[in-house]
Amino acid sequence: MNDWYRNFANSGVGTTITRQLGLPRPAVLRRYEPGQPLLPGPAVVGSAAAGRLADRLTALLQDAGVPVQSLGTADGPEDGERPAAVLLDATGLTGPADLAGVHAFLAPAVKRLRPSGRVLVLADPPAEAATPAQAAARQALDGLVRSVAKELRGGSTANLVLVPAGAEEALAAPVRFFLSGRSAYVDGQQVTVSAPVAPAVQDEERPLTGKVAVVTGAARGIGAAIARVLARDGAHVVAVDVPAAGQALAGIANEVGGAALQLDITAADAASRLVEHLRERRYAGVGPGVDIVVHNAGITRDKLLVNMDADRWNTVMTVNLQAQLDLTQALLDADGLLRPAARVVCVSSQSGIAGNRGQTNYAASKAGVIGMVRAWAPEFAGRGATINAVAPGFIVTEMTASMPVGTREVGARLNSLQQGGLPVDVAETIAWLAQPASGGVNGQVVRVCGQSLLGA
Amino acid sequence: MAERTVLAEAPNLPALFGRAALSARGRGGDLPATRLARVGVPVDAAQAADYARVCGFPLTDTLPVTFPHLLAFPLQVALMADPAFPLALPGLVHVRNSISSIRPVRASAELDVEVWAERFAAHVRGATVDLCASVSTGGTEVWRGRSTYLARGATAPAGAPDADVTVDVVALDRTAAQWRVPADTGRRYAKVSGDVNPIHLSTLSAKAFGFKRAIAHGMWVQARALAALSGRLPEAADVDVAFRKPLFLPSTVTLGTEQVDGGWDLAVRNAGSGAEHLVGTVRPR
Amino acid sequence: MAAPTRKAAIVGGNRIPFARSNSRYARASNQDMLTATLDGLVARFGLQDERLGEVAAGAVLKHARDFNLTRESVLGSRLAASTPAYDVQQACGTGLEAAILVANKIALGQLESGIAGGVDTTSDAPMAINEDMRRVLLAVNSAKTVQQRLKALAGIRPGQLLPEVPRNAEPRTGLSMGEHAAITAAEWEIGREEQDELAVASHRNLAAAYDRGFFDDLVTPYLGLARDQNLRPDSSPEKLATLQPVFGKGEGATMTAGNSTPLTDGASAVLLGSDEWAAAKGLPVLAHLVDAQTAAVDYVHGGEGLLMAPVHAVPVLLARNGLTLQDFDFYEVHEAFASTVLATLKAWEDPAYCKDTLGLDTPLGAIDRSKLNVNGSSLAAGHPFAATGGRIVATLAKLLHEAGPGKRGLISICAAGGQGVVAILES
Repeated sequence: MNDWYRNFANSGVGTTITRQLGLPRPAVLRRYEPGQPLLPGPAVVGSAAAGRLADRLTALLQDAGVPVQSLGTADGPEDGERPAAVLLDATGLTGPADLAGVHAFLAPAVKRLRPSGRVLVLADPPAEAATPAQAAARQALDGLVRSVAKELRGGSTANLVLVPAGAEEALAAPVRFFLSGRSAYVDGQQVTVSAPVAPAVQDEERPLTGKVAVVTGAARGIGAAIARVLARDGAHVVAVDVPAAGQALAGIANEVGGAALQLDITAADAASRLVEHLRERRYAGVGPGVDIVVHNAGITRDKLLVNMDADRWNTVMTVNLQAQLDLTQALLDADGLLRPAARVVCVSSQSGIAGNRGQTNYAASKAGVIGMVRAWAPEFAGRGATINAVAPGFIVTEMTASMPVGTREVGARLNSLQQGGLPVDVAETIAWLAQPASGGVNGQVVRVCGQSLLGA
Repeated sequence: MAERTVLAEAPNLPALFGRAALSARGRGGDLPATRLARVGVPVDAAQAADYARVCGFPLTDTLPVTFPHLLAFPLQVALMADPAFPLALPGLVHVRNSISSIRPVRASAELDVEVWAERFAAHVRGATVDLCASVSTGGTEVWRGRSTYLARGATAPAGAPDADVTVDVVALDRTAAQWRVPADTGRRYAKVSGDVNPIHLSTLSAKAFGFKRAIAHGMWVQARALAALSGRLPEAADVDVAFRKPLFLPSTVTLGTEQVDGGWDLAVRNAGSGAEHLVGTVRPR
Repeated sequence: MAAPTRKAAIVGGNRIPFARSNSRYARASNQDMLTATLDGLVARFGLQDERLGEVAAGAVLKHARDFNLTRESVLGSRLAASTPAYDVQQACGTGLEAAILVANKIALGQLESGIAGGVDTTSDAPMAINEDMRRVLLAVNSAKTVQQRLKALAGIRPGQLLPEVPRNAEPRTGLSMGEHAAITAAEWEIGREEQDELAVASHRNLAAAYDRGFFDDLVTPYLGLARDQNLRPDSSPEKLATLQPVFGKGEGATMTAGNSTPLTDGASAVLLGSDEWAAAKGLPVLAHLVDAQTAAVDYVHGGEGLLMAPVHAVPVLLARNGLTLQDFDFYEVHEAFASTVLATLKAWEDPAYCKDTLGLDTPLGAIDRSKLNVNGSSLAAGHPFAATGGRIVATLAKLLHEAGPGKRGLISICAAGGQGVVAILES
């Protein structure tokens, strides 16, 4: 699972060779480690127009211990350190003319951005625009951010957060996420926040302390990484996988100090057994209940549509989609079991967004997950809970390690970061969505794909 | 009054067997009245332990019920090897053994042993003689043994009583145990008992004496059977066994037991043919 | 005056699938399997770094190096290293006896929690060096000088190089357990057909239990094995009827490889605790261990069958608890051999035997056979001697829990040496 090419490209000889041949030069990404500062250097905060968020942003950064450089020094040649992040408050645009300010701020600031830097643009949702001109200006930012993301090198990313009026309280969690190493492989994405039901205070080192998290498909791969990251962030993890994977599952449960639950989520009584298990146990020293549910279990049974038998179709649909629906519904119906401020995160896939040859069943199921999440979001919001989807792109796992080298290498490089992601990148995104402070992120689909060219 | 000879040490059995073989011819007459004895014989703890292991007895502070026979046996052989003894030692067949365990003998005891021969008796196939032993400690008799030997073709003196070699047991249909008796059983028992009679040691040496294969010592079969009843034997007991068909080595045998009159009836038989090797009784005294 | 006692709660269990001898677990030692089983239990109940009251477990076939098998397994597991442990050994009764020991300490308030377990391998069984060779080597080891050592070594004979392979035979009778069972089967006139039927039911019940996910939270796969290797869901009386008898002699021989348990490797563990401990840990209580009884019979000289001791133990247990044999919702009678189960049931129904041998005025009577080994037993699962008790305790506890409060189950396990261990569980 080692990225040999990235290692080569970052070696002394490799740097020379790849440079001269004009080959991609994937960077070693800045990934989150506990105890790490939010940013390895200062941030520059700017406003394109009469933005309403710049002050809030500055305060937020200062709270997190990040030095904030003034606009005046952002483009100054000598003054101080190069910024690790560039944040633009692009709210308050009235028309395309205001976009000049966006350019004026970003161009010099991004030029000075460090490797593994972050560009984060905050904007008003185009759908809420009062005039076509305003909508045009707001929508323009989408194209801008995506393009900046593609221009950035050295493991830097650019993302866009849309902040409707009144949702300002929701800003902290996404801003922290996008600036931190947790979002290393999230690039060129757009997240819309909404007003959280209750503002949450969390320990940023262990934001999930006291939370009970159920993770399906936890025995290996991305699921195991999710279990590890959730546990690292303080959650008590109930690791779920099929009985046949029990030995690996027990290993993960013991590693993260959680519990193993062998359960075939497609069994007819799977939902009731999960509910019964959660009722019987009182994890993390509190009454029965669950705070975080990660629907990660998924399978592929690839065949071209014309060659696909009903069994392949149905099995994939049952595991990847129906089980997520059934388990979630059962938890919603089990009185009080899904605790207030619950976080449900459903693993979708890039295939569900872009489609993939030979994966009609898989892509359909993963697209279905997105539909499910969006449809359920209002009901979850009503309970003070959230439901979101995470769509991984090319993630290097045991599964991809067995792919043919050519396919694997092409798959791994077809993105702005020029490398495959790691299971931990998916896990970090999920852990962020599971945070108490992420109450304002609901019904979103966050791609963890390094800004993949597929379906972008 | 019988002549009593006290020996300072145990006779050398291989030498005795040799001497007895050379002086086998020309024997006859009555039993000698000689008694051979040893006094203050310490029990060899290592020998007792080896003996217990070979026979299957648990190792305890008291001697296996059959163990004192080992102290008496060399003296008995010395008696029989003496030219004055009327029957030739080679060819004598051990057909019956009785033991009276008057009280348990502590392994640490110093023992006085006295042996003699008596009951020269007429048997349909020859004559029998009993070699007796009495073992005492501190002046109290604690153990008594009687081995009846058959000399085929020999003639008992006129007026001799009829031989008594029969031991009656109840029907013993239930198999309590089954043992595999390995080929080296005779050699192992010879090592711990000193009874190096060649018929027990190897096929070759047994053939020299007319047996198709080596045969197990009767006293081993008896000891092994009694060992199987360890913990269930009366403290003071009379043991009486008759040796029947030879137990050829190696063999698989069965032990049949039944509780009778507060003691036991037992039989050791060939597991395949059912041929009886030994029948015996144990009764509380 | 007896101290007030409480009933120990059975929280749950774990075992690895049982493997056929010299197969999937051929390279696994008892310690490997017991450690994996403990780790599976730790994972199931989130006991990482937990200091439990104690772990009691054992194996029937043990290497000399395994003198501290259970403690070593605990040290290798994810339990806290400060969890005490000791080895228990009561032949095939080891697992249940270990559970009784832990439960009794919990009942007395000496423990709040504990694990009872058992493990056995017939693949990695200890092989002893020849007794004579062993003595020579002991002499060499204790020799003080080179001369003494050489002299001791000179005592080695070629025949002593042959190892002593442990035999599955009773030391006192030289008969294998199967041969003993065949004697009992003949005495009780247990027919071939009924034995085969019992074996088929065991396989079908176990397969069905696996299929409905019953063992999902009782078994953790090990070394690629997810179900008991001996399980044959397609077993049928017709197929079993074709097998040749392996125990017993002549025409009357009825016991085949199909209606006898094969040699098996595996391990099991049961988590016990006080109700208070379970509540404090947020763990469920499946059932309570109400009472237990052991018995032994004189199978050597006493005329009783080797595996008939549970027949003697159960009436004592019933009398003490004011119960009849019919007062149970489930019966778990260890299937050492199909004939053993059938002889046990027949003996309880036999007025003369119950009167003369058990000293009962009336026989215990028949049981409802539909309540017997409803999720299969040793004939299908296999029987790694010391691991069977833990398998049965956990299985029955879950069965009772599923059936609801106030249900009662009886466990009966026969053991080598003419012993029997029986127990009552209640939900």
